[in-house]
Amino acid sequence: MTIPHWLRVALLLLPGVGLIGAFIGSVVFIAIAQSFGYYNLTGESAFTLDDWRAILDRRLFERSVAYSLYVGLFSAVASVIIAYPLALWLRKPFPGSSLIGAVLKAPLLVHGLVAAFLYVNVIAYHGIVNQFMQWIGLWTGPRVLQNDDNAIGVLILQTWKNMPFALLLLTGAVQAISDDVLDAARDMGSGPFARFRKVVAPLTVSALQAAMVIIFIGAVADYSFQAIAGPINRQSMAQLMVFFKGDGQWNNAAVVGVSLMAIALIGSGLLALVARLFVKGASLR
Amino acid sequence: MTQSVVNRLLMAALLTVCAVWLIIPFGMAILWSLVDPSEPWTPDRLLPPVMSFSRWQNMWENSSLKPALITSYTLAPLAALLSMGLSMPTAFAFGRLSFPGKEFYKLVALMPLVVPSFVTAIFFTSILFNLGLHQWRFGAIFFAHAIMFMPYGIRILTVSFEQVRQDHIDAARDLGARPLSRFVVAYLPALKPGIFATLLIVFIQSIEEFAIAYIVGTPTLTTIPTLLFAQMGQDFVRPNAAVLSLILVVPNVVFMLLLERLLRSANPSMASGKG
Repeated sequence: MTIPHWLRVALLLLPGVGLIGAFIGSVVFIAIAQSFGYYNLTGESAFTLDDWRAILDRRLFERSVAYSLYVGLFSAVASVIIAYPLALWLRKPFPGSSLIGAVLKAPLLVHGLVAAFLYVNVIAYHGIVNQFMQWIGLWTGPRVLQNDDNAIGVLILQTWKNMPFALLLLTGAVQAISDDVLDAARDMGSGPFARFRKVVAPLTVSALQAAMVIIFIGAVADYSFQAIAGPINRQSMAQLMVFFKGDGQWNNAAVVGVSLMAIALIGSGLLALVARLFVKGASLR
Repeated sequence: MTQSVVNRLLMAALLTVCAVWLIIPFGMAILWSLVDPSEPWTPDRLLPPVMSFSRWQNMWENSSLKPALITSYTLAPLAALLSMGLSMPTAFAFGRLSFPGKEFYKLVALMPLVVPSFVTAIFFTSILFNLGLHQWRFGAIFFAHAIMFMPYGIRILTVSFEQVRQDHIDAARDLGARPLSRFVVAYLPALKPGIFATLLIVFIQSIEEFAIAYIVGTPTLTTIPTLLFAQMGQDFVRPNAAVLSLILVVPNVVFMLLLERLLRSANPSMASGKG
């Protein structure tokens, strides 16, 4: 007896895609359901929009969304802006280029929490940065650099951790551009910037989009960098969600969780679209 | 100025920057982990006045480090094995079979990477509460890690299955090999680097995973990242956090370098010794 092809495929997909779909599907479903008052852990479960109304009216939530978007967007854009020139420079191998590539990508191997520790260690009140600034005479005394109000520490950490990932994707993409294409553009009188705008950027836009989207999703949902190095008067969306959960306010946590998923999804789509339009516009100019 | 001179200048500048962003932070962490409790490291001194391994010893003897290491290093290999085992059939389907909707299913397989990890962690906990399984912490984290990191296994093994040469499979069949023997002689040599790479990447991801271990495991189950997070919060003692950071980062760097070698060697003809 032979198993029909469709059944064989279904049985093969079941332990992998099937389990993933069931697990993530259940997580997303329960988040959405709890945001509308179902599956309450305590009390009655019934449809309600009260939690959405209550959370959307809160200034805390508004500030948290704005803050998460700020961190997500800045991290994604800064990472690719730094990674692009480095990827172009490392396109053709030269003596020492593999060492540089390895050093630049090293932060990929470092856990986010370790990165946060290394950072707070360096910028500590009596840390090396403070000591150095006093030694060169720019500062008269040590300054508090950790948990700064503008989240510069979080942005530095996000860029430090994510730039190598963007570099990895962009290096692969720029290395795939053949010399003939770039030589032809050069022979037709294009300068380095025009070659970048009209040849390199359009041919690497997919890698650019992938890098921006993945970095954005990770940074917009950041918890640990924010908890360790972020401003103490603001909360990221993940932090707010954990706070509500810790306080037993599961429905509010669900509203924040669903909003976070929506922002990650819509934001990454818009970011990918803007990146493509920007590259297209630049190449036509 | 020639291209090679420009490269050399840029390289010198970049290596200086990298020294600043790698050597100084890690150097500081190593020094902090060696500060002897008998004499503090004050800002007026370039190096700790007394250096010893007493912080390491103290962390080993008087903190949750031992249970955290046991939990992390039990969880990770088990999650890696389960994840690899679950990924294999789907990777076979993606790599060797044609069927409608294949690209859609490939996207579904990436879902755990798209949903923010804290959303997954919190609402997975909610499901556990609803099912009355919230005390089942180790099993829950093990199960969640195996599924969360399956996308890596599916991606890597799909490429490995795609690279198995059809003439090797046909030759094995023509020589009378049964399905199991065919798998051993035709598939396995090409799959080996992919299998090891999957085991290693899920192992590393599981060791490093924070959100699920923190949300589901707290307060009774501690892993190395959750212990480090606790040490960096209300229990912040810089030398102790330095010890934990180094414990978390050093094995991972070694494993990641090994992983890179494995992925580079994932050449089917070389791996199978034929070609």
